[in-house]
Amino acid sequence: MNTTNSSAEPAPARPLLEVRELMVFFENALAINGLSLEVYAGEIVGVIGSNSAGKTTLMNALSGLIIDMRTKEKRRGGERITLYGSVILNGEEITESPPSERVKKGIVLSRERHPVFSESSVLENLRIAGYLRPRAEVRDTIAYVFELFPHLARLKARRAGFMSGGEQQMLAIGMALVAQPKLLLLDEPLLGLSPLMQQAVMEAIVNLKQHYGITVLLSEQFARPVLPVIDRGYVVENGMLALAGTGAQLMENPEIKSAYFGI
Amino acid sequence: MFLGTIIYGLLNSAVLAVMAIGFNLTFGISGVANFAYGAMYIFSAYLSWTLFNLLELPYWLAVCASIPTTMALGALMYRFVLLRVRGQALSEVIATFGIGLAILELFNYLGFVGFEYTLPVLIDDSIMIGDTMVDWQRILVTGVAGLLVAGLWAFTHYTRMGLAFRGIAQDERTALTLGIESDRIAMLSVSLGCGLAALAATVIIPLGSISPSEGYEVLIKALAVCIIGGLGSTGGVIVASFLIGFAERFTDTYISSHWTMIVSLAAILLVLGFKPSGLFGRQKELEERI
Ligand SMILES: Nc1ncnc2c1ncn2[C@@H]1O[C@H](COP(=O)(O)OP(=O)(O)OP(=O)(O)O)[C@@H](O)[C@H]1O
Ligand SMILES: [Mg+2]
Repeated sequence: MNTTNSSAEPAPARPLLEVRELMVFFENALAINGLSLEVYAGEIVGVIGSNSAGKTTLMNALSGLIIDMRTKEKRRGGERITLYGSVILNGEEITESPPSERVKKGIVLSRERHPVFSESSVLENLRIAGYLRPRAEVRDTIAYVFELFPHLARLKARRAGFMSGGEQQMLAIGMALVAQPKLLLLDEPLLGLSPLMQQAVMEAIVNLKQHYGITVLLSEQFARPVLPVIDRGYVVENGMLALAGTGAQLMENPEIKSAYFGI
Repeated sequence: MFLGTIIYGLLNSAVLAVMAIGFNLTFGISGVANFAYGAMYIFSAYLSWTLFNLLELPYWLAVCASIPTTMALGALMYRFVLLRVRGQALSEVIATFGIGLAILELFNYLGFVGFEYTLPVLIDDSIMIGDTMVDWQRILVTGVAGLLVAGLWAFTHYTRMGLAFRGIAQDERTALTLGIESDRIAMLSVSLGCGLAALAATVIIPLGSISPSEGYEVLIKALAVCIIGGLGSTGGVIVASFLIGFAERFTDTYISSHWTMIVSLAAILLVLGFKPSGLFGRQKELEERI
């Protein structure tokens, strides 16, 4: 059931993203323990794990935020973050690249708990997100984001901090899209959303894949809303890979049913 | 006399706003309290003076050289000193204050003190408003204050870099995930703040003279305006400049110029007592902050 390719049999095509034996330490505590996974272009891949399983740490390692955190901790002379293993995008090693370089290469993360610029309007949030992109393209993407989330279009001038969690989540995804991801990382995009909002967000994610060929890696605590949508999933426990398989395989698995189908 | 006090209160407010806006900008974006701000102000003035008087460059050229040089100095200060203590507010204050002290005391040591050290006014003339004589230089400062406020607003709302500034000011991590480099933006914000100090010196120094002690005074005034207004808030800078600007002139006219300095200090204590985050501090009018 483990889909990790052994070195003996070559992968059918080179994965877009490859994580090899990743380990992340905070001081002496191991947050990610020898995790390997891959994401192929055009897939929606899920990472399922309960609280403090290491989902956010993984996302930070992929987006490069952890490199920035490490630099800042070092300056402060405090807690040490250590990284082992490698993160490979399109065959290129990016384990040590800072976030801005990864955004330029097409990895964009939407952080957990829908972090938006709360004092700025919806439109301004999206414009800030277009920092690295040409103006005309930003305008087009913003139009597309409003198509994807028609609800957001009605709130254009609303200050982001005054919107509901679900609305902020839509905006956060929209902002990531403006940065033109090839690989979109979504850290717990359904956290704290009503079932109706959850459904809207999942539909949008499928839409991204189908119409725009954007590859998505998303993390989630609960398997129920994401399993029907993802192509493949990895279950992570205590920073280690516990299970991997296609969405359908995982849905059949009795362990998953008991552990991750609760609400 | 009343009308005259009003007019001079207005002009004085504009001077204060021009003095404070650069300090405020840097703090609002990167959280760096640049205590070398007054030194940068004086540095650029001496540089313009030297280029103009000793090298005999045309004045406009001297100014056009000294403003970017001051910005470069600010960027270097960030890159080689501040970057190492980034995120530790106290160390940042000590480092910038130390650098400011070194610059100002160097000029003191070199003996750059006296009335001959001043910069030329742009228009050496004055007009009468009612029975109050107003020199054009002060009107120029008022114009510059208005242009700066409008210009910075447009900059932070409509340009790529300005929007990135606002992003970093609000949520650094989210900005990082969008490809905005926080260290680069912070360096630019310090540099831009120093450039604004240089611009302020160019228009304000002709009203008096250049001296190291003026550097300390500018820092104190900028701090007073920013503390009263709420550090980092543009709206706060405007309101606080008016408050102090008018209070100073009215004290001058109706009490005694002896008490002028006390007024702004009392205003600081009063505001800190009732509203420690300043009139427009972060909790309140968040949008006003750049
Ligand atoms: N900055 C940090 N310093 C120290 N330990 C950390 C830090 N960030 C995460 N950890 C630890 O690493 C482990 C993984 O945390 P992580 O945030 O990645 O989990 P998560 O799966 O995202 O959890 P949640 O579902 O609560 O978001 C936890 O044990 C956590 O305590
Ligand atoms: Mg998390």
